[in-house]
Amino acid sequence: MLELEVGLSHYLVLSAALFIVGIMGVLIRKNTIVILMSIELMLNAVNITFVAFSRFLNNMDGQISVFFVMAVAAAEAAIGLAIAVAVFKRFHGINIRFFENLKG
Amino acid sequence: MSLIDITFYILALTTFFAGVAVIAIPNPVYSALCLAITMIGVAGLFFTLEAYFIAGVQLIVYAGAVVIMFVMVLMLFDLKHEKKAFSKGLFSMILKIGSSAVVLASIFSAIYLTISAKPRLEEVNTDAIVAAKGLALQLFTKNVFAFEVIGILLLVVLVGAIALAKGKGGTHA
Repeated sequence: MLELEVGLSHYLVLSAALFIVGIMGVLIRKNTIVILMSIELMLNAVNITFVAFSRFLNNMDGQISVFFVMAVAAAEAAIGLAIAVAVFKRFHGINIRFFENLKG
Repeated sequence: MSLIDITFYILALTTFFAGVAVIAIPNPVYSALCLAITMIGVAGLFFTLEAYFIAGVQLIVYAGAVVIMFVMVLMLFDLKHEKKAFSKGLFSMILKIGSSAVVLASIFSAIYLTISAKPRLEEVNTDAIVAAKGLALQLFTKNVFAFEVIGILLLVVLVGAIALAKGKGGTHA
């Protein structure tokens, strides 16, 4: 039932694959910056799903959701990178294990 | 196969393999560059879905701002000594990859079981200006409260990021 003509399921499959790539990045990498990048990948995968459904259901609401996801993702990246900078100043490394030492 | 299908396959392969490269390359600077390629690919996918305004915002916010922010922060760090880029342990690695594969298989099966009939692609208004106008009307009428909340969130993040990065590092330093 593989079809070459592109439909909704193609976009959903691509989105799921990108999301799993992001999950694996979060699981197997130790660098905090790369983990943040993987989270951005996951958010982008969800955005593809939103826009695909918005297009195929002919409804604008998905694109509005993408708008808000983008704003929150930018905010999350800014805060995560600021925390990474603070951790680097304290421990001279950004390995994720340094986050065990955060207190309060 | 029409032209839009071929475009989709090229963009999908580019996006997917750039995404794999983000997590597979040990050097974080190359990861950031692959992330930029992924973001541009996603913007191209939005173009194929006729979401022109979202595609432009994706290019400006992600490929422009967020990736540049990652690269700028990487410039602050001295990452030459970063040897242990990946987590150790064969058993935990097998567990992580296996659980990811299980999640992927369940999502794929859900997609193929539920979307059996191909949704008909209706002819919509493909004028970019009209589409952007519809988006703006929805954003500033139905979702205006969420829009204002996002504005407050961005203000809080602006102040919070400066306060976090400016300190000496750690809360008990």
